Parts: sequence; structure tokens; C-alpha cells
Amino acid sequence: MPFDPLELLSNFIAALRSSVSPRTVRNLRREFDRSVLAKLGLVLVAFVVVLAVFAPLIAPWNPMGQDLDSKQQPPLGFSRAETQTGQEMVNDSLVITNETVFVNATTAHPLGTDGLGRDMLSRVIYGARTSLLVGLLGTLLAMALGVPTGLVSGYYSGRVDDVLMRIADVSLAFPSLVLAIALVGLWGEAGVTVPDPFVVTGLAPAIRSALSLPGGLSYPTGMPEQFTLPGTVIVVVGLVNWVWFARVARGEALSVREEEYVTAAESIGAPDRFIIRKHVLPNSVTPILVLATIQVAAIILLESALSFLGFSGTTLSWGFDIAQGRQYQTTSWWIAAMPGIAIVVTVIGINLIGDWLRDALDPDIEGEGGGV
Amino acid sequence: MASMGRFLLKRALQGLVVIWGVVTVVFLLRYVTPGSPVDFIAPLDASQATRQRIANNLGLNRPLYLQYVEYVVDLFSGDMGYSYRSRTPVRPRVFAKLPATLELALSATVVAVMLSIPLGVVSATRRHSPADYGATLFSLLGISTPNFWLGVMLVIVFAVQFDVFPTSTRPVGLVQTIGNLVVIAGPEQGYALPLNVSGFLSDLRTWLLYITLPAITLGTYFTALITRLTRSGMLDQLGQGYVRAARAKGIPETLVRYRHALRNTLIPVITVVGLQLGTLIGGAVITEAVFDWPGLGSLVIDAIGNRDWPLIQGCLVVIGAGFVLVNIVVDALYATLNPQVMD
Amino acid sequence: MSDDSEDPSTGTDAPSRTPEGNRRDLLRVRDLSTRFFTEQGQVNAVESVSFDVREGEILGIVGESGSGKSVTALSLVDLVESPGRVTGGELWYRDAGLAEEYPDAADTVDGELVDLRKLPSRVRRALRGPSFSMIFQDPMSSFNPSLTVGEQIAEAVEVQRRARSNPRSTRSRTQGYGLGSYLVDGIVPGRDYTDPESHEQAVDLLEQVGIPDPEARADEYPHEFSGGMLQRAMIAQALAGEPDLLIADEPTTALDVTIQAQILELLREIQAERDMSILLITHDLGVIARMSDRVCVMYAGEVVERGTLADIFEESVHPYTEGLVGSIPDLENPAPRLQPIEGNVPSLLDHEMDDRCYFADRCPKAMEACLEKPAEREATGAAHSAKCVLTDRAYSEATALPDRYFEREGGEGRE
Repeated sequence: MPFDPLELLSNFIAALRSSVSPRTVRNLRREFDRSVLAKLGLVLVAFVVVLAVFAPLIAPWNPMGQDLDSKQQPPLGFSRAETQTGQEMVNDSLVITNETVFVNATTAHPLGTDGLGRDMLSRVIYGARTSLLVGLLGTLLAMALGVPTGLVSGYYSGRVDDVLMRIADVSLAFPSLVLAIALVGLWGEAGVTVPDPFVVTGLAPAIRSALSLPGGLSYPTGMPEQFTLPGTVIVVVGLVNWVWFARVARGEALSVREEEYVTAAESIGAPDRFIIRKHVLPNSVTPILVLATIQVAAIILLESALSFLGFSGTTLSWGFDIAQGRQYQTTSWWIAAMPGIAIVVTVIGINLIGDWLRDALDPDIEGEGGGV
Repeated sequence: MASMGRFLLKRALQGLVVIWGVVTVVFLLRYVTPGSPVDFIAPLDASQATRQRIANNLGLNRPLYLQYVEYVVDLFSGDMGYSYRSRTPVRPRVFAKLPATLELALSATVVAVMLSIPLGVVSATRRHSPADYGATLFSLLGISTPNFWLGVMLVIVFAVQFDVFPTSTRPVGLVQTIGNLVVIAGPEQGYALPLNVSGFLSDLRTWLLYITLPAITLGTYFTALITRLTRSGMLDQLGQGYVRAARAKGIPETLVRYRHALRNTLIPVITVVGLQLGTLIGGAVITEAVFDWPGLGSLVIDAIGNRDWPLIQGCLVVIGAGFVLVNIVVDALYATLNPQVMD
Repeated sequence: MSDDSEDPSTGTDAPSRTPEGNRRDLLRVRDLSTRFFTEQGQVNAVESVSFDVREGEILGIVGESGSGKSVTALSLVDLVESPGRVTGGELWYRDAGLAEEYPDAADTVDGELVDLRKLPSRVRRALRGPSFSMIFQDPMSSFNPSLTVGEQIAEAVEVQRRARSNPRSTRSRTQGYGLGSYLVDGIVPGRDYTDPESHEQAVDLLEQVGIPDPEARADEYPHEFSGGMLQRAMIAQALAGEPDLLIADEPTTALDVTIQAQILELLREIQAERDMSILLITHDLGVIARMSDRVCVMYAGEVVERGTLADIFEESVHPYTEGLVGSIPDLENPAPRLQPIEGNVPSLLDHEMDDRCYFADRCPKAMEACLEKPAEREATGAAHSAKCVLTDRAYSEATALPDRYFEREGGEGRE
């Protein structure tokens, strides 16, 4: 690549800032005021973001803390029937008794517990971190790979463009999920452990013991000190989705190249890099941004699918819990249901924001890209 | 239509190039991943010499380009090699599993298209009606729900709770079902065999029973997507000048909607659907995992787990080739609606 | 509201350009009002507009953008789309058959006229094609890009054919065209909505409008036509139903000047051949001068002056008309500067319009009397009238409004 990635990143940010003209802001605000759904989207996403960021402060339990005595507890309002087999000596012979016992929900675990007694609410809250981080970082990676490639390809056209487009075609020939499975499966699921700032700095325990949590019970204050980022997954989803950005960037470059102000810039001797940076990039920002929101949603779905199938670097993931829930599908439906609802809520929020951006900025944008 | 023929030929050639690219990437995949198949085959305490021997047997020690050429040549003559694990030929295994995946993908697509286009049209033409709100809500949910979760939930509700549908597998295939009706006979039997109608009906019932939940699971995302696109596309088209001109010349409203607006709406819809076919295949893989549906998806996941390279490659190549083929069909469809693209 | 008895243009004695002497009215528009109910408020696009179109004549409607001329045209054929609606008025159309069938809608004086607004909507819509047809400004966006031109013209022919063979049934027109047949048609090539006979007629029509090699061109797509050719094709399409009235909304605005002349000539030829009426809408006075028999001048949703060509160009009364005519460069008396009309087109939002002459804020001859809405009065003869106080008095400085009279907060003309 004839570009320095850091320089390009700063250019991109500058382009973002310059394309956020007063008119754009006005359009955004107007559409926002007009649309109930846009407001809803923002609320949902903000909610999930807060959960993810402040997880150690919000989650009632340590999500990895097993408590075999309270396993498979139902969520509030439900109860689970369990048959307990017991053995009794009656009249010198062994009698096997079957007793149906009802396991009731407790306020200690409002969303119930999983097969190993871990609190579902906490797992869902921590799962938000995995999903959002993978979604954001994966999209950033795809953007970093795709946008410069697409811009260069579209601007210069010719041989470079042809080759790049063939590669893109081949990339798209592989259904992204299958390719992702292949790559993660074959490369191994490397996780990157990151210390959790809230816990390591002692902030979490302090705040938690200061707050009085509902129920009058004493909750454990030992939250996990480290957080695992599924590194391979992030790299793989980025690799699998870069093509979408490349295509959009290329399309924009192709059309902007034909604009008269570019010809004017060329005629006064402006170098190509400058033109791409100052003209092509700012005008491409809008469709790229809209695509980015779609991609975040798609990557979150992709990551959860990968975890579901067992290809992930972390067990604190919504997809992983759904897979777990499948094993308990006949007895404890909430283990699969809760994380799934979380995914639906998050993705709906992101989609609504994507719709808002699209309606406000450019209703003509080519629809949906990526997805599982 | 001579131009259509030329167009198809061009796309077919391009498709071949892409398939070649897929084959190459699949081949190279082996060399960018850690671990060697030898690790899976050789016993844990095998000596270096044994490992070398195994590697030689598998042809892993020859120069890269030789292996590549041999691989490509074999492939084009139909030989997909032998599975490392079971030592049985790959091709029959892959093609044996193909029908199951095809059934699933086709059923889901047919259901999706048949539901979503009318839904999208109704939603666009009766804005702000309950039907519109319902369709919009449904489509939003549909594209935001992970399909494996939907599958698990459907199983929990309908199979476990209400016991209406079975939870998994596929005892009977569609071909076998229809086979009951097909009269195949040789001269000895006098060219006639009694149709096994009751067998057909019972097989059909079984097939439908087992494919319903998986098809719904796989088809929901597509239904939602196409509904959304059809709706926005129709709204867009209905505001165009040619719609007003068509009304002005006396064309009744139904015709304006279907023959003019819908036709032009389907053009970008088909484009996006074509791009999303990869999603369909990916979704099929997951759906097969959820329902233990014995198709290519399950096969390829197992193969990846076992580092069974010939099998992995065989599956990926077939998936890639199938994908290219479907894309060509979609392009042809697109060209009939928008002939400008053939120039 | 214009007073019928004072409106001189409805008289059947007024002479017209066509040599055939007295012509009857084909269409009488009375107090037509169309409003748009938008988020920003109610827009009065067309306000109490009245005019007549005679058989076999070309009536021109001239005005700037925002004058309401296009909306008027759309209102005639029920093509106004939400949030707009025709809110009042009568559209008297001469059709003896309809008058007989719907006596409640018929005129008590002239038994052949029916008020279109009193007819059931499907009957009204059925008139599109055989009675009224319309051509639009931009031919490229008025054709479906994915169907051949011949196909679309044949479609117009087909609709009329089916309607004629089964006049009161709308079902026959859509027969065989539900979603099901659409899908089948898509899969089975060759099966079409249109008959081969309709196709032949389409080619015939193309020939009539002067398109060379019509057979081959009928199989081409709109993007393969040039602007002028496509406009001819649109005219061909409009003639498919053999309409009595052709409404042409800015038919030449999007075309090159030389092509403009050709298209206008074509329209004249067709009009003469078929003795058809044309309602010609344009902002271009040159086109008006070339084509029209009579003219209506529109401003801010009203007709402000009407008359024959000579009346408007040589003896205009309303200062707006004067301004329009005066802004054309004159070869014979080249003035050092052109005289534009000061100010901007007013907002048509209901709550922003005052109850006065709408042109007063730009009018060089505004007087105190103009603060009340003027009625339409005869100017220089039975056929010439204007909605201006200058029809019956001269401009006097004494009662003139001061220059900055209308400039106050929230004043008009700020858009």
C-alpha cells in the first residue's frame, strides 16, 4: 500500500470532522427529531454500551463463579420441575423413588443460572463486552484494510483495479461464515487477556461495597481481574469483511474522480495522494459510515455464531451461552433465551441507528452488506 | 436473445476464473495454518521416521507447485482425493451430503421469496396501516435475530414444549420422497411399476415435518431482508416520474404497481440478494448444526475439527463453485429485468 | 372568487384562431382549488382558478415556477398526490354519453356537460387516455427504464382497446395481470400483457410522430433515445387513446432550442390533423407566442390575466404580465437594460398569505386599493380580463403605496 496507515487514520478522522458540516448535523438532528425509531435505537445502544463498559460495577455476580448448589435456577416468575431420584430401604429391599421437586427462582439470580450455577444476568452483562468489542474492533480492522484499498483501486483504475476486483470476487465467493469457521478453526482460538481497569485499580470493589444492592443479600465483590478478548476472531472477522468497505470506497472513488473539482485539482498539479486525501476521502465518508453501522451489527451476529459453534477465544460470550443452553433445552430454556434476547436488542438498536444515519444523510445508499 | 447468450457465456467464463481462484485459495489455506495432518494420523509416540513415511505417503513432501498442479488437475478430472481420516474417497461423500443442504437452502429461499415480496408491496402501498407496521416490525426483528438462536428457541417452543415438530435430523430426503412416484421400469417389467402413492404421502409428511423448523430458521433472515428492501424500493419507485406518466396514460393502479414499480424495485433487490447468498450458505451451516441436519455444513465443520484436509478442500470447493453458479443465475435474472447491464 | 356573470371568456362568441368560427367549450374549469396539507402547513397551490378550453384550440398557461400551473394540470386528471388534494371547484367536460349516464353530474343549462368531480372516481380515471392525456417535461424520467419504448406505447394502446371493448368495467383492463401472471410472465418469455396488434399500432404511432425506422426503434429502451426523439415517443404514447384534450406540461423545457422548434411544430401538426385541443403549460413566452390561440397568465395560484395572444402581448393590463412581456429582449427597440420583475415568488403557505392582491408586494403600480383582493374584470374587450384594479382606473401616484410598505417582520417574498 502506498499509504502509511497511521497517516490515513488521521486523515480519516479529519475527513470525518470535515464532512460533519452544519448541514449534516442539521439533517441528522432533523431526522432524529422526526423519528421515534432513531431515538429508540440510540437508547438501546447507549444502554448496551453502558452495560459493557461498566460491567464490573453493574453485574451482581462474578460471571465465571460457579455455584453448583444453585445450578439451573429459573428466572423470576418461573419455576422448574425436576425429578429427583432417591433410594430408600423399605422392608429390606431397595426402592427407587421419583419425586417431582419444584426449583424456584430467587431474587439473587433474577435471570436464573446456567448449568454450572453461574448467574445469567452477569453473564449477559459481560457478554456485551465481548460482542461490542469484537464488533467495533472487527469493523475498524475491516475499514482499515478495505477503505484504502478501495480508494486506491477506484482512483487509479486500470490493472490494479481489475486485479483487486477479482480478489474481491473470490473473497465474496466464500460465504463469510464458512471462511471464518475455517480460519478460526485452523488458526486456533487465541485469546488476548486484558486487565480489567475497573477491577485492577480497585475501583470496582470500592464502589460495590459502598452501594447497597437490592435484596439485602451480600454479593461477592470479587469480579474477574482480567478480560479475554478473542483475538483470532477479531482478526478473522476483519479479514472476512474488508471487501464490503473496499467496494463502497472504490465506488465512491470512481464517481468522485469524475467530478470537475478533481480535474481542476489535477490541472493545477496537485499530487494524487493529496487529491485522494482532500477530495475523495471526505466525500466518501457518508456511505462508509452507514456501511460501518451495518457491519458492526453483522459482525456481532457473526461472532455469536462462531462462539455458538465453539470457535471462539472466550467463554464469556452470548453465542457460547446459547450453545450451552441448547444442551439444557429440555429443562432450562432461559440459558439459551437470555443471551439471545440480548443479541436481538443490541442488533436492533444498531440497525435503527444505521437506518437513522441512512435516512438523514443519504437515502440513496446501496442497501445492506454483510451478515450471517 | 442472442445478447443473453453472449452475456451468460461471459459470466460463465468469469465464473470459471473465480472458481479457479477459490480452488487456489483453498489449496493454499493448508499452508497458512499451523499443524500438519500428520499430527492427526500418526500415533502420538510415532518416531520421526514414521512421521516422515506417513508424510511421504500423503505426498506432503513434494515441492509446493507440484502438489498444486496435481491438485488442480485431479480436481478438474473429478478426483477430490481421499479423506485422511477415513481413507474413503472424498467426492462421493461430499455429493452424498449435498442434496440435504440444497433442500434446506431451496426451501428456505422459496418460502422467503413467496412471503416477502407480497409483504413488501403491501407494506409500501398501504403506508401507516397495521399491515405496514406489522411488516416493518417483523422485518426489523428478522434481520436482528441470530438464526441459530431462533432455531434453538423454535425447538424449545415447538418441539420440546408443544411437541409439534421433531427436534432434529432428516430421515427422508426429497428425492427419495418423489422417487415413490417416479415410474422406472425396464423392459422385463413391461415398462410399468405401480406408483407407491401411500409411500409418497407418508414420506412427504415426514419430510415436511422434519424440514419445517430448519427452513423457517434459515429463511427468516432472508424474508426480513427482502421485505425491507422491497418496501423501501417500492416507496422509492412509486415516487418516480414514470409512475405518474403511466397513471396519466390510463394504466390501472394494479398494473402500475406490479408491472412498473415492482419490476424496477426487484432490480436492486436482486442485486442485494445475490450479495447475500453467502449469508444463506453460512446460515445453512449453522442451521445444520442446530438441527443435526446431515448436510455439507455439518460435514465441513467436522472436517475442520479433524484437520481432514482433502475433505475440507472438497467441501469448500463445492460450496464455492455452487455459490458462483447461483450468482450467475442471479445475474441472468437481473439481466432480464435490466437489459442495460448487458451492454 | 370570480363572478361567473362577469367572466367574459365563457362566451361562445369569442373568435378563435382556427378558421371554423364558433367553437364550443370542451372543458370549463370553475373555481378549481387544490391544496397541499404538509408538515409546514397548508399550501394553497391553486386558488379558485377558472378557464375554458375550446374544441380544437390551443390554450396556453404561462407563469413562473410556483405559480400553480403544473398543479392545475395535474388536478384536471386526478393526478394530484397526497398530501395534496383538489379541494373545490367544478370541471365541466363535454361528453354527451357521460351526461346521459350520470344525470346528477350533468349541467342543467348545457346538457352535454358533466362535472367530473361529481363522477365516481373510477369513471374519472377511465377518462385518462380517451379523453385526456398528458405529456411531461422530462421524457427520460417519464418512461420506465426497464421496458422498451414500443412496449410502453403498446401498453397505452392496449389499455384503451380493452376499455373500449368493455367501457364500464375496469376489471377487463387488469385481466390477466395479477401478481401471479406477473411471475409467470417473468419466467415464460413471450407472454405479454400486450397483443401483437397493439404493438403494430404502437409502431404506427411512432411513425406518425416522425420517428424514422419506427419498427427498430420500438424495440429499443428509453436510454437509447435522444431527448427529442423520446419526447416524440411520449407524444405518440399520449395519442394512443385518441384524446380530446392533450395537456402538455413544459414539453420543450428540457430540450435543445432546435429540437424545441421541431416538437412544437409536431404538436401543431397533430393538433390540426386531429382537431384536438391542447392545454400548453410553460414559463416560456416565446413558446406561448408561437403556439397559443388564447393565453392565461398565472401567479401565486391564481389566473391574473387572460385573453388572446394580441391582448396579452400588446395590450396587457396586469403589471405582472407587463413585467413578463417586458423582460423579453426586444430586437426592434433594444433597451440598454432589461426590466426584470423585482422581488421573489411569494410563499403559498396559507398562514403566510394575506388577503390582498398577491402581486402587490412586487408591483410597481401598487395602490391602496390593492390591499383588498381585486375581482376579475374585463379589460379591453369581452375576451380580455385581468384580476387587477387597473382594469377600471389608471395608476395614480396619489394613492400609491410607499416602496417599503410590505417589508416588515415575517414579510412576504422572503423565500
